[in-house]
Amino acid sequence: MKTLLTSVTAFALSAGIAWADSPATDMSNMSWDDIVAQAQDEGQVTWYVWYFQDRFRPVVEAFEAEYGIDVIIPEGTGQGNSDKMLAEKGRETGDIDVLAWGLNDFDTIDVTALFQPLNMLPEDDGRVGELLGVDGKGHVLAYWGNQTGIAYDPAHVAQVDLPQTVEDIAAFWGEHPGKFGFNYEKGGSGPSFFQNIIRASTGIDLMDGEVSDERLAVAEAGFDVFTAQADDYVVTASNVDSITRLSDGELWMVPAWEDHLAGLQNSGEVRADIKFYIPEFGMYGGANGVAVPMNAPHPAAAAVFINWLTSADTQTLFNQTFGTAPMHAKADDSAALVSNAQRANQTPWGNQPFRGALEKAFIEQVILER
Amino acid sequence: MTWRRCATVLLLLMPGLGLIVSLIGMVVYVAIAQSFGLYNLNGDSVFTVAHWAEMLDRKLYTRAVTYSIYIGVWSAILAVAFAYPLAIWLRKPFRGSIIIGAILKAPLLVQGLVAAFLFINVISYHGIFNQLMQAIGLWDEPRRLQNDRGAIGVLFLQTWKNMPFALLLLTGAVQAIPDDVLDAARDMGAGTFARFRKIIAPLSLSAMQAALVIIFIGAVADFSFQVIAGPTNRQSLAQLMVFVRQTSWHEAAVVGVTLMVIALAGSLLLAIAARLILKGPFSR
Repeated sequence: MKTLLTSVTAFALSAGIAWADSPATDMSNMSWDDIVAQAQDEGQVTWYVWYFQDRFRPVVEAFEAEYGIDVIIPEGTGQGNSDKMLAEKGRETGDIDVLAWGLNDFDTIDVTALFQPLNMLPEDDGRVGELLGVDGKGHVLAYWGNQTGIAYDPAHVAQVDLPQTVEDIAAFWGEHPGKFGFNYEKGGSGPSFFQNIIRASTGIDLMDGEVSDERLAVAEAGFDVFTAQADDYVVTASNVDSITRLSDGELWMVPAWEDHLAGLQNSGEVRADIKFYIPEFGMYGGANGVAVPMNAPHPAAAAVFINWLTSADTQTLFNQTFGTAPMHAKADDSAALVSNAQRANQTPWGNQPFRGALEKAFIEQVILER
Repeated sequence: MTWRRCATVLLLLMPGLGLIVSLIGMVVYVAIAQSFGLYNLNGDSVFTVAHWAEMLDRKLYTRAVTYSIYIGVWSAILAVAFAYPLAIWLRKPFRGSIIIGAILKAPLLVQGLVAAFLFINVISYHGIFNQLMQAIGLWDEPRRLQNDRGAIGVLFLQTWKNMPFALLLLTGAVQAIPDDVLDAARDMGAGTFARFRKIIAPLSLSAMQAALVIIFIGAVADFSFQVIAGPTNRQSLAQLMVFVRQTSWHEAAVVGVTLMVIALAGSLLLAIAARLILKGPFSR
């Protein structure tokens, strides 16, 4: 009986704590100072971000020191984190305070239903809530600029010889068989490459998300570029595999993410002499965003954290530390791998569901036929 | 048996059987229901066979089915084939046999992902194997061995990882065969292979079936070896499940259910085939 009573008491206490910890706090009418005070009472914020967790942990120490709020960054994958957010949307109190996700991924769900409006943040016109046709609708803010392009080994490819058009790419494959590699899964740099080759060679508008047999037939004409020279390029296993094999000297050119490459170079895991460029035919660029789920357990701390994360100072710090394109108008972008002139070649991510249908057709007709 | 006794038996079985039935049963039920459009995480749940039709129409799916069966069957056969001679060799203890047995079982302690990355390091373009082949003059330049199209790398890893498990099962079974039986067969003129085919294999059939089935189930659902060392022009079912889950939980459930059906049916077929070959009409 004593054990039973102890168990019941423990359950009641834990339920009480969970109730007290529930997120039903409307911050829209609170002053920023009150929000910060509440955030400090909450004491911690859990940031679900799917990459560079070990590198973000030392970076957020500056936030912890400034506000006295602990930042917990769990391990997890992008898919796993977003699945978790969706799976626990019905819970009164979830586990996620701040969710990081690709800005175009946020665009695939109803952000107004799943995430809190960020109107509690102090006014700051420099923040980025809309980019390349993706609108965060006041519920999502960009914190990490990213750009796909082509990483190359300058020991084998001179800057003046860099392929800039579809014809250049085909010529490079013919002249240097087996020296160009790209992935079609486990990372978006390869898909960015083959989709933009298809767009450039067929003129298909990837911003139009409508799926139709006619549009797919137009896009599939671009598959010829790949099927005609199937033995001249390598299909790698992932973004990381591409960069690893480039750094190892096996491959000379691979599609890559600018921030991913810069981060690996900064940590010494990839050769520092590897270069990066955005070809003139264009490759996808965009951003990762952050949002606060409706059932975040520490909503005030989440707001304060997002305010810090998207500030000009933090965006400058990210540019210097990770080589990212800053997502604040007043931030310094001098440490990026590519010049602003080259960023003109950036293209917005193709819209769904057509992009998915195109990937599906590409896998069926190009990858599986190799 | 009275109802009281029935209830007692059921209650006693509940902690084990109940847990299995409820936990596994729930997962299987949800997977099957999701493959038919129910338990939708992103919208309304509607019963439909559209997800099955969509996947059955995709080359990616049919290739994944045949590829996973190929990996599962050959992994099981190769692991058992390599384990048998070793089990027979280690049947009678000799000086150093315990150490040899322990070394042979070492791969069981190495996590699959670690093994796959180590393997890739060894066979990579500028890896140790390529360097060795060039150093001894067999190759003029490095060769691309990673992610080979025949999945030889995956089969090598599966065999390396699973052979010790088969050895573990077969050693006990082979050691249990009395010397008298083997001596009698030898006296009657049976050679080495005849003794294996007519005495050792039939008497260790249960262990062999267990090894074949368990290795097949693990290999057919392989993810870690495939994504690191497997061919890039096809996917295993587990890899495909993760891949399509990015866009549709229902299609991922179709792949998951397929995987379960193949594991179940394949296990039965392998066990039956082994029995027929060693004890049935094909054994003569």
